[in-house]
Amino acid sequence: MIKRVLIANRGEIAVRISRAAHSLGIEVVQAVSDADRDTMAADLADRVVVIGPASARDSYLNSDLVIHAAKATGCDALHPGYGFLSERAKLAQGCEDEGIIFVGPRAQVIDDLGDKLRARAIAEKAGIPLVPGSGHVRTVSEARVAAEALGLPVVMKASAGGGGRGMFVAREIDAIDEFFDRASNEALEAFGDGTLYLERYIENARHVEVQIAGDGKGNAIHFGERDCSVQRRYQKVVEEAPCVLMSETLRKSLHDAAVKLVSSLSYLNVGTVEFLFDVERDAFYFIEVNTRIQVEHTVTEQITGIDLVQLQFRIAGEEPHSLPSQSAITINRHAIECRLNAEDPFNNFMPSPGVIQHWCAPSGAGVRVDSHCRDGYLVPPYYDSMIGKLVITANDRDSAVQRLSAALEDFKIEGLVTNIPLLRAIVDHKDFRDNSFNTKWLEQSMLPEFEQTQKEE
Amino acid sequence: MAKPPKGDIESLVRQFDSSDWTELHVKTNDFEVYLSTNPNSSKPGGHKDAAAPVNASVSTSNVGSKAESVDVVKSKTESARSVVPEGMVGVTAPNLGTFYSSPKPGAAPYVSVGDRVTADTEVCLIEVMKLFTPVRSGIDGVIKEICVADAEMIEYQQLLVIIDPA
Repeated sequence: MIKRVLIANRGEIAVRISRAAHSLGIEVVQAVSDADRDTMAADLADRVVVIGPASARDSYLNSDLVIHAAKATGCDALHPGYGFLSERAKLAQGCEDEGIIFVGPRAQVIDDLGDKLRARAIAEKAGIPLVPGSGHVRTVSEARVAAEALGLPVVMKASAGGGGRGMFVAREIDAIDEFFDRASNEALEAFGDGTLYLERYIENARHVEVQIAGDGKGNAIHFGERDCSVQRRYQKVVEEAPCVLMSETLRKSLHDAAVKLVSSLSYLNVGTVEFLFDVERDAFYFIEVNTRIQVEHTVTEQITGIDLVQLQFRIAGEEPHSLPSQSAITINRHAIECRLNAEDPFNNFMPSPGVIQHWCAPSGAGVRVDSHCRDGYLVPPYYDSMIGKLVITANDRDSAVQRLSAALEDFKIEGLVTNIPLLRAIVDHKDFRDNSFNTKWLEQSMLPEFEQTQKEE
Repeated sequence: MAKPPKGDIESLVRQFDSSDWTELHVKTNDFEVYLSTNPNSSKPGGHKDAAAPVNASVSTSNVGSKAESVDVVKSKTESARSVVPEGMVGVTAPNLGTFYSSPKPGAAPYVSVGDRVTADTEVCLIEVMKLFTPVRSGIDGVIKEICVADAEMIEYQQLLVIIDPA
């Protein structure tokens, strides 16, 4: 088993990883930037090393620094968390080269699945349904030809990365001309690679993803699916498990497809296979694989009772029989997570860093809060604005929604502007309660309505 | 975090931590404790250069026939913001890495205490994953103190060298 891990991340996930490590008797070395010296993660760790200045590029995004820190402090493992370097094959490879256990998949798999076009080819080979799409399109005219073949509307996507950057929807053929360069430049800026491809754009889609884990020897299991359709600019805001809209039959096919895909790669450690669920056609299509622990792993933990971060450590530490059998995974209850952000939903989601004067989180039955925040904590301006996650569990969706609504009402954060008013409005909205929304709902339907109401007040 | 099995060990660790000692070795009939400011040290050994413990790392192991479990006392390491004496200037590390006092193993050190330097004088090397970057003095003056031992890990903003500007 792993003895000492370097956590190469920050915020709530660093706290999460630290607690999971300690629960397994693993010592924790926390890498921090200059801005994160006085943090909960630093307090929890057995040792703290300051790797660089506040800027992520000179600290958390520098794989040489974190590997060097791991080696110099006698760590035999490194956990990348999510975001930052978690899906950069260079970090995984660097760890492999230096004899440090990377708590995650192998570098080659991260690399293969990180290229979205290569991932699609892998899925196709495994017989998984794909969103109809094109190969690389290098020019506007190639893109136009591909769009005609697929049928409009289409979405242009970056092949080198995800998260919505480099993504543009074109509804008319001339829009291709307009968006092609923008999409390519954005992709180049974000991922260092401006290569694009096209997919048919599904108007009425839910984002459904399956949590998986593999032992690296061809065995893989699933932990059910999550529905993450409440999104703004391709960033998830609310996630839940399971996806109650899907029929049992379809859900089973979905799980089987995810497991088939990752076991075909002898996938090691945890990951998520993302799909679009076309509600009208009652069909699902593969989108991509995320080769890391995700923000919303929590809702899966709540409905299965499995600690996924502990599982990451067990698999990485080559504990015998670390991967549970599929039959050992039972799914019951319903869980919903809200991402709490330090941003102003009434002012174009302007980030709101600052000192938390008062942090008062709800608690009790079915209430879980994953956060690194506390009274007096200075939320820094250098990183993303997520300050915590509120995860509610109940017997069924309706009960979970009720409990979530009450918990949000009880959540008091003073000193910062947060998105709690928006979260409350989402959770109290008829469409959300009826479970009748899609991936466009928040941006195109709910938010305009929400902004309009604010203006009227 | 694991608690030490004996209050004695915890007390020893606290006293050591708040001292300016670099090494402590205590052996009794019941237990043996070795404390060091060198994070890579694993057994009682010879002297280390007395470096300003801006990066004090403490680890103990409860070695002895009575140990029911190997409880390791872990103490936090924080890269303290060192105090530069009045009138002096400190050269600090631009990032975490390994400090080297000479350009190559066995070669003469870049600088020694008492050397006169200019702003461009290279005072040490910092290595990150085999990439070596020299650090320049940044100011004309005389080397007052070299704060880090050769091959020691240093953290961002850690004090490397103190210069008396002149």
